[in-house]
Amino acid sequence: MRRVFANWLVLGTAVVVIMMSVLFALLRVTP
Amino acid sequence: MQLRFTVRSGVWAALYLFFVLGPLFVLLADRLPPARSFWTEFAAAIGYSGLAMMGLQFGLTARFRYVTEPWGEDVIYHFHRQISQVAVGLVAAHALIMLAHRPDLFVVPRSIAEVPWGAVFAFLALFALIALVVTALWRAELGIRYETWHAAHIALAVVAVAGGLLHMVGWAFYLTDPWKRALWIGLTIFWIGLLFYVRIVKPLFQLRRPYRVAEVRKERGDTTTLAMQPEDHPGFRFRPGQFGWLTVWASPFRITGHPFSFSSSAEATDGRVEMSIRNLGDFTRRIPEVSVGQRVYLDGPYGAFTIGNPADMHVLIAGGVGITPMMSMIRTLADRGDRRPVILLYGSKDRDSITFREELEALKSRLDLKVVHVLPDPPAGWTGEKGYIDAEMFKRHLPPPYADHEYFICGPGPMMDAIEKALGELGVPLAKYHSERYSFV
Repeated sequence: MRRVFANWLVLGTAVVVIMMSVLFALLRVTP
Repeated sequence: MQLRFTVRSGVWAALYLFFVLGPLFVLLADRLPPARSFWTEFAAAIGYSGLAMMGLQFGLTARFRYVTEPWGEDVIYHFHRQISQVAVGLVAAHALIMLAHRPDLFVVPRSIAEVPWGAVFAFLALFALIALVVTALWRAELGIRYETWHAAHIALAVVAVAGGLLHMVGWAFYLTDPWKRALWIGLTIFWIGLLFYVRIVKPLFQLRRPYRVAEVRKERGDTTTLAMQPEDHPGFRFRPGQFGWLTVWASPFRITGHPFSFSSSAEATDGRVEMSIRNLGDFTRRIPEVSVGQRVYLDGPYGAFTIGNPADMHVLIAGGVGITPMMSMIRTLADRGDRRPVILLYGSKDRDSITFREELEALKSRLDLKVVHVLPDPPAGWTGEKGYIDAEMFKRHLPPPYADHEYFICGPGPMMDAIEKALGELGVPLAKYHSERYSFV
């Protein structure tokens, strides 16, 4: 069950990192 | 204790994200090069994040007790394996988006000498990463020996991370400021330095703290117990259920160690520890050849699979050699004179291979211990359970309310999946059961 929790943690990390990368790109291109 | 661990695991998860995203957003400080298109900037961001995640992989396997304790070593390794696929996905997406939006960067020059070294390292890092993931996911199918794979895994990881950094420094788009360059180079040195810590510094400490085999005991179920005594040092104290990395017939610098649970009582004050190891056909088949007086090395203790939370009773569920951490818990509770009930549900292949059968009977006189043996195909006259441990068996042997007990599960993967499901059906909350998979490396 803790492995299921770890899987959610992996998924959560991936989503946060992609969202933050989008934010990074938006901050760069927004004048 | 549970709350403290929950807080600590939350803090570490937040720190993990900080170490992935912090060095990326630092790039926005100070002087900035002219912005490119959204997709080019997004590709750059996932490239940096992917590299930071690859670097942090060294930290996840650096055996930092304080970091791994709230989660359990098996979960940390599981996370290490899963998150590596995310990191490789980000790096591959970085290359593909760049290829789609900046094809001019991928024009093959007329001579090799004209290829910018930032690009050379990009390809080197990408290929090392792909090889890293393919060999990790399909090692057995590819027929690679574990020891060979482990050495190659470390070498490929260093090439991938160092190659990724040199690609960034070589490309020099965001890392033109000396302090930004110094930050990323420093971080990479720190990540690879963790490898140096695990492979050089820790073994040096172990070399100065060897153990001698004091006793080699044959147990039922093709299992051998090694009793080990610290040699001119006090050893370490462990909590029942924890494990250590054992090195036999080699120096502690050997890359591949072998994790085994301690099976002895944690109340021993002279540093003596025991590991009971079943012959599973690999390194373990040679354990009966270990001789008394032989020098061995132990790195431990590790693991979160341990008693200590408030509980009205302990329910231990073991399959096969999964009995070893349970044995440590039972022996420790007996030595402590603990009055709380302990129920052991113990699945074995057949009657003769029930490891510690006689000792478990003897321990009943020192502890409120009930042992339920489970055999898939029992002989005539068998008084224990038949089949496999399931929710119905729990209802037959455990007093309700089920959610008040503390559960510990250790055994083969399919058994653990089935039991975790059964406990869920009985309404036992996640915080009340603990499991440790013994084949996590």
